[in-house]
Amino acid sequence: MNVGRDLPKLVAPLAIGAFALLPGAGLPAFYDSFLYLVFFWVSLATSWALLSGFAGYFSLGHAAFFGVGLYTTAVMAAKFDVPFLLTLPAAMIIPALLAIGIGAIVFRLRRLRGELFALLTLAVTFVIATIILNTPIDGGGGIFMSAVPLPSLMPTPTGTLYVLGLAICVATLATAWKVGHSRLGMGLFAIHDDEDVAEAKGVPTFRFKLAAFALSAAIAGIVGGVHAMFVGFITVSGTFDLTVPLYVVLMSVLGGSRSWFGPAIGAVVITSLLYSFSGGSEAIMGRAIVGVVLIIAILWLPDGVVPELRKRLKRWSSTTAPASVEVAPVVVPARPIGDRHVLEARGVTKRFGGLLALAGVDLDVKEGEIVGLVGPNGSGKTTLINVISGHYPLSSGTIAVDGLQLGTLPAYQIARRGVARTYQIPRPFTNMSALENVVAAASFGGPPRGSREIHDEALHWLAFTGLAGKEDVLPAGLNLHERKFLELARALAAKPKLLLLDEVLSGLNPAEVANAIRLVRAIRAQGATIVFVEHLMRAVVELSDRVAVLNEGRLFALGAPREVMRDPRVVSIYLGKAYAA
Amino acid sequence: MPSVTLLGQALISGVLAGGMYGLLAMGLSLSWGLLRLVNLSHFALAFLSAYAVYELGTTWHVAPWWSAALVVPAMFCIGAAQHWLFDKFRVNELASLLVTFSFAVILEAGIQLYWTADFRRYETAYATRSIKAGPFFIPVLELMLCLVAGALAWGTWVWLTKTYVGKALRASAEDAEIAAAYGVNHRKLAYLLSGIGAGYAGIAGTFIALIATLAPSEIWTWLGVVFAVVIIGRLGNPLGALLAGLLIGASQSVAMAIFSPAWAPVVSFSMLIVVLLWDPEWI
Amino acid sequence: MIERVGRWRRRRVLAGMAAGAVSLAMPSLLRAAPTGKPVRVGGTLSLTGFLAQTAAIHKIAAEMMVEEINGRNGLLGRPVEYVLLDDQSKPEMARSLYEKLITVDKVDLIQGPYATAPILAAMGVAQRYGKVMIQSSMGIPKLQTYDRAFPATPFGSEPDKTYPNVILDAMASIPTPPRTMVVLTSKFPSAQFMAKGMQKEAEGRGVKVLLYLEYESGNHDFGAIAARLKEANPDFLWVGSLGLESNLLLEALRKLDYAPKNHFHLYPAPGPLALSPDGDRALCSTFLEPDEPFMSRPGMKRFAAEFKERAAKINLPYTTIDAQACGMISEWQMLETAVNAAGSLEDAKIAAWLKAHKVDTVFGRLRFDGPYNHGDAAQLIKQVQNKEWKVVWPKEFAAPGIKLIAS
Repeated sequence: MNVGRDLPKLVAPLAIGAFALLPGAGLPAFYDSFLYLVFFWVSLATSWALLSGFAGYFSLGHAAFFGVGLYTTAVMAAKFDVPFLLTLPAAMIIPALLAIGIGAIVFRLRRLRGELFALLTLAVTFVIATIILNTPIDGGGGIFMSAVPLPSLMPTPTGTLYVLGLAICVATLATAWKVGHSRLGMGLFAIHDDEDVAEAKGVPTFRFKLAAFALSAAIAGIVGGVHAMFVGFITVSGTFDLTVPLYVVLMSVLGGSRSWFGPAIGAVVITSLLYSFSGGSEAIMGRAIVGVVLIIAILWLPDGVVPELRKRLKRWSSTTAPASVEVAPVVVPARPIGDRHVLEARGVTKRFGGLLALAGVDLDVKEGEIVGLVGPNGSGKTTLINVISGHYPLSSGTIAVDGLQLGTLPAYQIARRGVARTYQIPRPFTNMSALENVVAAASFGGPPRGSREIHDEALHWLAFTGLAGKEDVLPAGLNLHERKFLELARALAAKPKLLLLDEVLSGLNPAEVANAIRLVRAIRAQGATIVFVEHLMRAVVELSDRVAVLNEGRLFALGAPREVMRDPRVVSIYLGKAYAA
Repeated sequence: MPSVTLLGQALISGVLAGGMYGLLAMGLSLSWGLLRLVNLSHFALAFLSAYAVYELGTTWHVAPWWSAALVVPAMFCIGAAQHWLFDKFRVNELASLLVTFSFAVILEAGIQLYWTADFRRYETAYATRSIKAGPFFIPVLELMLCLVAGALAWGTWVWLTKTYVGKALRASAEDAEIAAAYGVNHRKLAYLLSGIGAGYAGIAGTFIALIATLAPSEIWTWLGVVFAVVIIGRLGNPLGALLAGLLIGASQSVAMAIFSPAWAPVVSFSMLIVVLLWDPEWI
Repeated sequence: MIERVGRWRRRRVLAGMAAGAVSLAMPSLLRAAPTGKPVRVGGTLSLTGFLAQTAAIHKIAAEMMVEEINGRNGLLGRPVEYVLLDDQSKPEMARSLYEKLITVDKVDLIQGPYATAPILAAMGVAQRYGKVMIQSSMGIPKLQTYDRAFPATPFGSEPDKTYPNVILDAMASIPTPPRTMVVLTSKFPSAQFMAKGMQKEAEGRGVKVLLYLEYESGNHDFGAIAARLKEANPDFLWVGSLGLESNLLLEALRKLDYAPKNHFHLYPAPGPLALSPDGDRALCSTFLEPDEPFMSRPGMKRFAAEFKERAAKINLPYTTIDAQACGMISEWQMLETAVNAAGSLEDAKIAAWLKAHKVDTVFGRLRFDGPYNHGDAAQLIKQVQNKEWKVVWPKEFAAPGIKLIAS
């Protein structure tokens, strides 16, 4: 981890300095132009990865933003005589605005993920290309840039383009590094793994995706702007063909698209390969050899070069003794149940089309109280949790947490107001270690605090849930029991006012259940307010202060556990439905 | 305003041209949807088949239908062999893009080495025949393509939804572990499916040989539009892929009849964007 | 100045005639093999990618010419070495490879690539290093803004004005001259450029343009366009097509049971169109065909035979030499003549010589002193007759017994 953080800081200035001095070093100008193309692809592939690699929103439309940037510069410089350098800010801003415009619509629709997003971006590319082709922007004749003066930043024009390409490339890599190590990056990685969970943990997914999209488009745009001068003669078919989207994908996949540095590696490898067989006699065989090399590379490094190397590095370094974690347990004396209502639900109704999942539920939960939520399958328990946590918008009714009306707040806002939840089937962020999972939840869900503090707290909650020593393990390496506890650790790390637990005990064996019950008691001892859905009656009776019974979307009974469970009406719905089922 | 004859003719031509998109999309859709492998080499396999049909037809005077009988099983084997590689190296969805792209590049180079980059045309009597129906003309070859594509799509759909093997395949696509727990041998079925997908490329290639003039770089011609068709038709749904192909073909063609032909992509792809955002029940 | 040019020309012509006569009479005797350090001439072609089919033709022609020149006296008595790179049909690749040729491979001279976009990309590089660049395939002369770039193909400086009139003259000569026409064009810069000129000139001469349609370059779906053409039913159809587009269009038309009346195609792939059953009587732009009177031009018979042999050897399906291959031949003829006449490998001297003189090429005698270094336009019209291209217009260039056939 530290190597990953500190090495770039050391190497980067040296590398940048060396590259910046290169045009003066007397190398043939070809190397300027070859390296320019390397920078070009590094910048494009890295910018693509900002959204598509980090957040997993796979785009086939990178050519749209690249092309809009390119045409912005071309039109301004060639048709309106704007000095070339002054066109570059516009070549950034216009594609970024386009991305924000597209994102503002698309990112509101949850279904437009995965391949549908890829399709949409592809379609947008076709539409933009056709518009440019058929309007005076291009009109079909192409734009010839020969009359546009290139500022002499360097002795030669190619040197100037080289320096511009280098500057953009460095800025792009710096941006990717910064994003990858920031809150934004953490949020994007969480979105990549499970967007709904990310939102429920407090990640402002919509804004983050929009920011990543705009950033990605802005970089692609300015790369296009400079490239307009490099190509010299601009045509729609040469700009918007599938080369750009295809190559950025291939480069990122080869290098590792979730790593800030991966796409750069892929870009360097593929660009160099394309140039290595440019000789006239071996051109065709050369193409085939490039294909073979790429196949071999990806078969042996299926997750991409950088992640595979990292994995190997880790395996190599982890032979040293695993760091043991010692965190003093935080002992908080048990508090009595207060008078304040942490949760006030009034007439909570949720419709799915014609189906009434919740039909006006009223429920108050006091501070420090544990309320068990029971009822037969389909009675609306999980829906209630989904509605409180903001996953589904309310159809009607009101919900207040700690006196604050939730209204139509998005889920991440609700999470930040102190509502944390777990999932019946654990939904950890699969590409993050256990520690990173908890850190992410703590960073976005809890009150703002320093990263050191968050880190320590995360270690504390992992230890609290018995996961000490598993900090660096990926969720796939945990068993179901441990993953359930990781869910709890994530929820607790957000320091929630209200904790919603969805069937924490299901699927556990008796020993694990006993362990889990002890854990929930410990949580309660810390004074948390808990609503938990549970089928296991022994646990419900042992843990709850009050039990709420839901049936067919209505609150059927509410009271002390033993009384409610003895209520003949409750027994009848339970025996009649749940037990029979 | 264009006449009814013109619109009708454009619609017919478009639907029939869309049959090619659909036929190419079907194989891609199966492997993408059911195996989570995006096979960019599908287009190259189709062109390899087309060149094979061309070679058999021009050098050995084999009728295209007999060539197809040779080429399609050969493609089936290539598809299965490809899957062996995917399976052995546990290639994931993203890595499959790179592997199959490289395949396509190798095939393109191979085709160029053997057949040169120059255009190859397999002149047959079928190419330009049409049936006259009232004021409209229906080209025979394209009609045949659509009928074959329709039969294949329908057959595959029935196979996937009604038979045990098909259901097992779809179950594996949803959750391979659970399907395996029910005794579905996912890995064997995957070989079958890969082979079938490549076999479709063989069939598409036979029609390409008859309809189109061949050049190695033509491999990439339909990439964009067929990608769109695969996704509109829903991954793993051959019938959807075909219908989406017909729809895109028809909308492009009608747009070309009404507006300046160069504007056609805006019409069909804007329509697609609207449909994506609006998300009606039927899609 | 004029006098000097005249004197120069006389001397050159005389020398050329003498050399030609001698070399024809006793080829082996006078072939003093060039000696010394080779003169390296660099260039790119799109050997892979979507322009690859054109590169195959150009490569044959270039290699043929290098051998031919080395079989004579080389350049300044030194042998020629051709450094060919593959620009993969991408202009940015062309740009950087020309930089490679000039700054890394340190070639002495360069030749232009193929197609407008790569040529313009390479031209920028040539300009920065002051290299002479001869190219044969840029259809928009006004974009050739560099004063050391020379066309090896006689487009003339304003082909969008001159060539449509050649076509209209040809059409006016047929028994029932067309009164209506349709202009259909690919939105490819050089095709669209000519289409706009065609529309304007036709209207100026009273031919009614019923429809002016543009389609996306690389379009494969011509069904609807064919239906529109059929409905318009013009007397004359002008198609600004590239590559296979003409074949696709004609097939689509035939599927509607419609044969266009007189139809002209701008830059189609010549082989497939000539052999297509729909291609009969198709008209097309050209600069020469392997027929009289062109075969009488010096070396042309040899080029045609040699090209056929080499094309067959690498398994090309269409082995007849065409204007494109001759463009490459012309490039090398210009280079050979200019370098040897200027007596120098210095680009400034070569360029100055070219501007001031005429060069005999397979395209006839070319001059480079007009706008954009272009000279006279010499675009002709050819027609598919019995599956072969025959020049039919202007009449003086038609082979004996060949006439424009109206339909």
